[in-house]
Amino acid sequence: MESSSAPKRNFTTKKEFYRQFRKQSIAYELWLRFMKNPTAVLGLVLFVIIVLGAILAQTLADYDTVVIKINIGNRLHGPSWDHWFGTDELGRDILARILHGARVSLLIGIAAVGVSLFVGGAFGAVAGYYGGRLDSLIMRAMDVFLCLPDVLLAMAIVAAFGKTMVNLVIAIGLSFAPRFARVVRSAVMGVRENEYVEAARSIGARDLWIIRHHILINCMGPIIVQVTLYVASAILCIAALSFLGLGIQAPVPEWGNMLASGRTFMRDYPYIVIAPGLAIFFSILALNLLGDGLRDTLDPRLKQ
Amino acid sequence: MADEMKNTLEIKGLTIQYVTGDEVVHAVTGVNITIPVGKTLGLVGETGAGKTTTALSILNLVPDPPGKIISGEIFLEGEDVLKMNDKRLREIRGNMVAMVFQDPMTSLNPIKTVGEQIAEGIKIHRKVDDKASLEQAKSMLELVGIPGGRAGEYPHQFSGGMKQRVVIAIALACSPDLLIADEPTTALDVTIQAQVLKLINELREQSRMSMLMITHDLGIVAEVCDTVAIMYAGRIVEYGTLEDIFDHLRHPYTKGLFDSLPDIGNRRAELKPIRGLIPDPVNLPPGCAFHPRCDYAKPECSQQLPAIKRISDMHYVQCHLYADTDMSML
Repeated sequence: MESSSAPKRNFTTKKEFYRQFRKQSIAYELWLRFMKNPTAVLGLVLFVIIVLGAILAQTLADYDTVVIKINIGNRLHGPSWDHWFGTDELGRDILARILHGARVSLLIGIAAVGVSLFVGGAFGAVAGYYGGRLDSLIMRAMDVFLCLPDVLLAMAIVAAFGKTMVNLVIAIGLSFAPRFARVVRSAVMGVRENEYVEAARSIGARDLWIIRHHILINCMGPIIVQVTLYVASAILCIAALSFLGLGIQAPVPEWGNMLASGRTFMRDYPYIVIAPGLAIFFSILALNLLGDGLRDTLDPRLKQ
Repeated sequence: MADEMKNTLEIKGLTIQYVTGDEVVHAVTGVNITIPVGKTLGLVGETGAGKTTTALSILNLVPDPPGKIISGEIFLEGEDVLKMNDKRLREIRGNMVAMVFQDPMTSLNPIKTVGEQIAEGIKIHRKVDDKASLEQAKSMLELVGIPGGRAGEYPHQFSGGMKQRVVIAIALACSPDLLIADEPTTALDVTIQAQVLKLINELREQSRMSMLMITHDLGIVAEVCDTVAIMYAGRIVEYGTLEDIFDHLRHPYTKGLFDSLPDIGNRRAELKPIRGLIPDPVNLPPGCAFHPRCDYAKPECSQQLPAIKRISDMHYVQCHLYADTDMSML
């Protein structure tokens, strides 16, 4: 490597300058590539704002005194300096409820995708790695689940086991699992044929070791992309379930149930539904832009 | 074992076929190979002659399906590889036998550091913790002539020749008794080839390791091998010591191989390639598989498989030309 005693090399180009960092990781190179994509950066910025809102929700608006406390005297005020997005039919600040709603949506969305990644990923990895009859068996079972619309499947699970938050996570997680199984399976099948997998076998690694140390880490690209996109779907799914009264129950704020309870006042006080609607819109947009950007970054060949 | 000399590897009557649909590919047929401790055998042949399949069978890694080991025994220090259970197989892979693959660009995992990849085998076989295995990986890297400080770098930061050094370090990490080198220099520049060969040879001598060198380059054979097996269409057609093959070659195919080398002394001489192509292994010609390309073919060559004839102590040939010859006359 170059010695640090040669700082005044006037022919140092930008590329040369970056080369010394390249040693650290390929992650840095990927970051540079990601930053060149403006829509992806927009997605990232939006997503960071939403995450920050969720993290700071309690600091910005206290849950017990602002978010769920009914204040009839204040009901249905339009947007003002005190209440940026106005107040709802029970006099609660809509902005505060949206911030706290982001917590619920993100938490359940990420947890649900975690569940489906774990369940679907395990089945997909096994199916893709071993192939043959085991593969057919697992994937046909997954296809059966894939036939059911996932909101419907989630509804059935929640209706059967109760409307708790954990059940909601499991319900959405399981209904998304077959899609992850497919993504992971196809990624694993592509990586499986690489010579370094055979090389690992030739030094005595067992199958589970090979899947963990060589195959799955080389499938990270498509998996990360799908995770981002499915968190968006999961958030939409929670909103839909809550809107139907099967998801998060009042008074806990959630974008879907805010829409549901605001629905009756929509004609005279449209801002009451516009705000949660926009929250859903922007979070889905952010995650989709981010997901597409990540895909372009991690697998530039897919970009047409 | 009756032999007074201990053999690292002994393959007897190995036959491997690839069965796809209703086609049968005769990849390896009746192969016999012996490698004494500390010696190097060169397995020479054209692409598709069955060299790599033979090598993979030693690790019992022939892809199944479609590969099927039909018959034969592979003794690794007296123990039959084909009769081992999965656990024992994992124990010997990397520990007793290790393989250097042809293309270092694809045989390294692109997103793990080279140190981690060398440490992997050590971790699997030596049951040591991460730190100790990484330390050992560093010293392995130094052994193959790469500064230990580069252990934290990724394969794409290395040149082709250095990558192959890393692959060699991975193979040697658990000091195996047998190293299988599957065309280790084919993917490298000519200038780097010599360096890598020299490195393999030095390390092999230091640790008294046996080696199976798979190649189609007779120059490499001359440089590193003690015995040579010439393989054609899945069979070993000639087998002997380096001297037997280079100075007293018998089989027309071996002769063809030597004739197709450029003659550096006579630059105007035309190359004499062997006419025709290697036969389709699904449809091998009857009799001796080489007869359609052979300049010395006799009528019986297309009808009957020649017997394996012992010419001298270590020298065997499978060809009709020598069927009736009294060997004491040669």
